[in-house]
Amino acid sequence: MFHIKQEKPSWQSGIAKNITFIVTKDCQLACKYCYLVGKNEKERMSWDVAKKAIDYILDNEQDFREESVIWDFIGGEPFLEIELIDKICDYLKMEMFRRNHHWFNSYRFSFSTNGINYHTDKVQDFIKKNREHISIGITIDGTEKKHDLNRIWKGDGPEHGSYKDVVKNIPLWLEQFPGAGTKVTISSADIPYIKESVLHLFNLGINEIHINCVFEDVWKEGDDALFEDQLMQLADTIIDNDLYKENTCSFYTENMGKPMDCVLDNGNWCGSGKMLAIDAVGNFYPCTRFAQYSLRDKKAWIIGNIHDGIDKNKLRPFLTLDRCTQSTQECIDCEVASGCAWCQGENYDTADTPTIYQRSTAICKMHKAHVRANNYYWNKLFRKLELEGKREEFEQNKKSVNPEIC
Amino acid sequence: MKKLVGQVTEAERDEIQRLFERRNGLNELARILTADNAELYEKLVKDLGETGTKFQNWWDTMAAKYNWESTPNGNWEINFDNCEIYLVDNTL
Amino acid sequence: MLQYLIIHLDDTSVSYCHYDNYKKERNLISLDDLKAGILFAMKENLMIQMVYPDYQLPKEYEATIETIDHVKIKSISQSINANVVVIDSWNDLESLKADKEIAYVLRTDKASFFECYSRLLPILNEVSRLNVVIKNIETFTDDDFAKYKTILGEIASKVKDCYENNHAVQLNLLTDRMMLDKMNNCNAGWESITLAPDGRFYVCPAFYLAGENEDFGIGKAKFSVGDLQTGLDIKNPQLYRLDHAPLCRKCDAYQCRRCVWLNRKTTYEVNTPSHEQCVVAHIERNASRDLLASIRTIGTFLPDKEIKEIDYLDPFDVKEEY
Repeated sequence: MFHIKQEKPSWQSGIAKNITFIVTKDCQLACKYCYLVGKNEKERMSWDVAKKAIDYILDNEQDFREESVIWDFIGGEPFLEIELIDKICDYLKMEMFRRNHHWFNSYRFSFSTNGINYHTDKVQDFIKKNREHISIGITIDGTEKKHDLNRIWKGDGPEHGSYKDVVKNIPLWLEQFPGAGTKVTISSADIPYIKESVLHLFNLGINEIHINCVFEDVWKEGDDALFEDQLMQLADTIIDNDLYKENTCSFYTENMGKPMDCVLDNGNWCGSGKMLAIDAVGNFYPCTRFAQYSLRDKKAWIIGNIHDGIDKNKLRPFLTLDRCTQSTQECIDCEVASGCAWCQGENYDTADTPTIYQRSTAICKMHKAHVRANNYYWNKLFRKLELEGKREEFEQNKKSVNPEIC
Repeated sequence: MKKLVGQVTEAERDEIQRLFERRNGLNELARILTADNAELYEKLVKDLGETGTKFQNWWDTMAAKYNWESTPNGNWEINFDNCEIYLVDNTL
Repeated sequence: MLQYLIIHLDDTSVSYCHYDNYKKERNLISLDDLKAGILFAMKENLMIQMVYPDYQLPKEYEATIETIDHVKIKSISQSINANVVVIDSWNDLESLKADKEIAYVLRTDKASFFECYSRLLPILNEVSRLNVVIKNIETFTDDDFAKYKTILGEIASKVKDCYENNHAVQLNLLTDRMMLDKMNNCNAGWESITLAPDGRFYVCPAFYLAGENEDFGIGKAKFSVGDLQTGLDIKNPQLYRLDHAPLCRKCDAYQCRRCVWLNRKTTYEVNTPSHEQCVVAHIERNASRDLLASIRTIGTFLPDKEIKEIDYLDPFDVKEEY
């Protein structure tokens, strides 16, 4: 049966609470595009803080009614704290079970890692122990050249890329998590390498590439044209070589670049506020991007702590935030608005006042270039399918994965 | 061999998915819980038994309801994404 | 659109709203700035509200003030010629010799209000308008909400008696909502702006009076929005407008102050009210609804007004239906 690979929906998408432990602010790498401006080796979460956070969350089940939970661990590099993570996960399992908490029936442990320590015994033992409840994303940016352009080892001396230290662990990762995807971040300097990088990742066996431009205002004159060109070249290669059958790249999304309605289509893009992040000293945040180490120009947006609990008033702006209220008139009127993303933390960091209600438009010209290339991709693909007599089948198959048929 | 043999409702899917998740959770909990923690250990053992029974009951009930095709060495699988039931038999 | 300029004449000028003024040292606005403020208001077509300190102003100030139409907001101890008189103590309220031409503001904290509200009842016969401002509404608990509802019911009974005796007293907590067809909030930063003694503009006096180092969590509580030399410079001005307040723009607790200062303090965002502010406003709204029905038992009253029955006290709880 003919089909085009479609991106897998994330686990319990939309119905899972995401709770993030910022277990360390340390990392082996010093990636040039990293938004974490306050990384350091000192702020590591203690067991006492982690336990108090868990007890608070599980004690207050009535305030966490989501059907499922994703216990997320980030850093810095989370696997630097694998022993603490192991202890946290064991405690979570026991406590959710002991308390008959509804999340015992639906939980995951999730990790975003640079992959460097993936093969170590401690990490591997942890994976085996929690095999049915783990999802791990390893970040690899593409070819060695592209990856090492940004993802370099921390420390003095000449720049030293991390590609070789990560790529050696990819086969093991894919063996343990077949179909796993990776996240690629594009900054200005990366644009010339987009095509070769995505193709390289496909060749490594990573069939799902989640890729996006950074939200920060880093874009130079002409970047949009270069970006568009790279995406069109990549589109040609994917379509001409039938790579779309087994691979997905989030750059190409069928329904993006359309006008949006302020009544019918007014949801916020970002999930901040529906998530919860906890840092090493036990402060709560609406998402990790509101912790001080993520912010360049603003103060941390603390919504409570493990001792006093969550101040729900501090979450109200997030949970009532809609697309149009935070957007400029230009964004509201934009003819290609759909699919244009934003990061609430970046919006806050760049706003003229301490508010989450001022949308950053730094990504505007890149989004428009993205839309043009995306349109090119689908027009070309559809024409090819039509000429091959497969367009109708494609549309039918698309419907068959619609969950409504359940 | 893996063959599509039927489909259940969303509610039925949710029920078996919950049991599946619980069984996995109990199994992974069993790896870290020892008899030293008597109270929790007993609770776990009891729950494992009950969940296993409910799990099997679901398949028995659904098989009877939908009359799915079967083979002597085969077993059924469910795709949680689309509620489809497959017959899997590696001897065929 | 900007309509009012509030001139906070002195650091010790009386507070007529939720914020407290802890400043004790006099610091009068310079005469030049006062004149420039008046000129600004004239050019921008703004109504001026002069907020007085608790002492007699120099003659040249009084003379300057009288060059323009304005409203005088004064404390009870300096209430000569005032249009609005602020009362900070229940004893002062009891001994008040009310003037029906004056609007009175009673500022009280929650505990005193709960304890002393019955002392307010006789005054309702004497005044045309009384605004009760509960200073610390951000501290209301569920028990307080219940008490507040009961107390408003008791006060409403007295208000009804006034109406029955042909005295249509205005009490902000109960009668404003009966009269309104749309939101009538404070609207600081949108319809009004404050000129402070330092010659700078602030969203409202509370943003001027905040301590230099006061911080509600995400940045300085005190910030100005322009000055007399360069004019107004309100960053993100849209956030002070009703249409940029997702919870409020569809709300029908029309009498709510929608205090941007309390919003900033409790939720960090000037456009987002706290749970406490919303619930208090809705308890008042519902009490107004009951009062309206009660007055109508006496005779025809505001026949075109309707306050619908609702099943929530905080619009946040029904935001999905919004």
